[in-house]
Amino acid sequence: MRRERLVTLVVGLAVLGWVAWDTEADPTRLVRGLPWMLDFLRRLVPPDLSVLPAALAGALKTVEIALLGTAVAAVFALPLGFVAARNVAPPALFQTARVVLNVFRSVDTLVYALLFVAAVGLGPFPGVLAIVAYTTTSLAKLYSEAIEGIDAGPVDAITATGASRLQILRFGVLPQVLPLFLSYILYRLETNIRAATVLGFVGAGGIGFYLQTYLRMIDYSAASTVLLVTVAMVMVVDGISSRLRARLV
Amino acid sequence: MIDVRGLRVVRPPATVALDGVDLTVEPGEFVVIIGRSGAGKTTFLRSINRLVEPTAGTVSVAGQPVTGADARALRDVRRRIGMIFQQFNLVRRASVLDNVLAGRLGYLPTWPSLLGRFPRQDRALALECLSQVGLVDMAERRADTLSGGEQQRVAIARALAQQPSVILGDEPTASLDPHLAASIMDILRRINRERGLTLVVSQHQLETALAYGSRVVGFRAGRIRFDGPPSSVTPEVARAVYGDGEVG
Repeated sequence: MRRERLVTLVVGLAVLGWVAWDTEADPTRLVRGLPWMLDFLRRLVPPDLSVLPAALAGALKTVEIALLGTAVAAVFALPLGFVAARNVAPPALFQTARVVLNVFRSVDTLVYALLFVAAVGLGPFPGVLAIVAYTTTSLAKLYSEAIEGIDAGPVDAITATGASRLQILRFGVLPQVLPLFLSYILYRLETNIRAATVLGFVGAGGIGFYLQTYLRMIDYSAASTVLLVTVAMVMVVDGISSRLRARLV
Repeated sequence: MIDVRGLRVVRPPATVALDGVDLTVEPGEFVVIIGRSGAGKTTFLRSINRLVEPTAGTVSVAGQPVTGADARALRDVRRRIGMIFQQFNLVRRASVLDNVLAGRLGYLPTWPSLLGRFPRQDRALALECLSQVGLVDMAERRADTLSGGEQQRVAIARALAQQPSVILGDEPTASLDPHLAASIMDILRRINRERGLTLVVSQHQLETALAYGSRVVGFRAGRIRFDGPPSSVTPEVARAVYGDGEVG
């Protein structure tokens, strides 16, 4: 047992060492880069407040993208969540659903954004589509796990009354999982706001577009305003969302 | 009222839970099932409304076949069979009234019922069932704010709302202290006598079984070992049902 642990440790360290070499990890390079980072930070102040209206409009657009995308995904994920839950779905359906969910979930929102920008052109709409694509499958996974964790007792009781399959789901399962579902939706909204800030980098709308533009123009004081607005936006949405979530429990 | 023939339940891979059970229950009987845990009491009760799928044998209730029934026919016959459970099995976050209304689901068309709005006469019936168990004042309370004894009474009201011919009870008093257990058994006895409902209830307390049952059925190792009136349950019978060692 001790021997095995030692071997595991040595192998683990060897892998990490090789990985550090392969990624050209070099602390001295980081130290040599410090003056540049300080220069960058210095150029961020003072923020150029003349771009504040544009930044705020971008932030609003980002919130809109996340909000619409999350809302649509929350609905689309419902049937998928039930189909992917071992304890309520027929076995054949369940296996297929799990595979499909895992495939779609392995692609990140940003990659979907690239696809949708190519498909429908620039703007916030491909951003919404990207959020929907990723969030639907990730919420479906969370839903299905919540459904698998329910107490089987009430489901038995509702079944015994002569309720139909849909009635059992509605009256035996849904009341048990609904607060969890809402909490997951809010949590996803929080992460989607963050995801949506970078969607603009690939042309899918929102505040990321401004950040990228000002950085390219080497207008750091304008970029600084955009960054501050981004931080404020994320904090406000997180605050509201976590307060709502606390009330659900 | 209940007719069970050659009932066998085998759980994969090869656990025999019920090994050929025959039982006929007449209308109005109060059958109490005794036996050690694992003797097959729960499996037997759950086979009667097919919460457990029998491996072989037939079950019919009130003349309607349960085994072999398609989905529609199974729903119909389940409406005639109320069931209460050891853990009450209420929907904890729902109101007491909504829990009782669930007893009406088998009578309602699926799609309209999904909105959660019940017809006026069903609501009236649910309130009537709640008053039968003395809880009409608690109709709007959340189910999980009630005590264990109260929750089991709500569960009885839910079963009554089905307007059933039969009520099955799977150890309905095992989670309750003796005083509350007696009050639940009293309610069941009243339902049995006043409404003429047929009851089949498993009971881990031998004294309670003998005090309330009009007929006692003893299970051991998936088979019926004893079937007769409480007066004929002798110490020898108890030993045959429970095996050597402690009784009850």
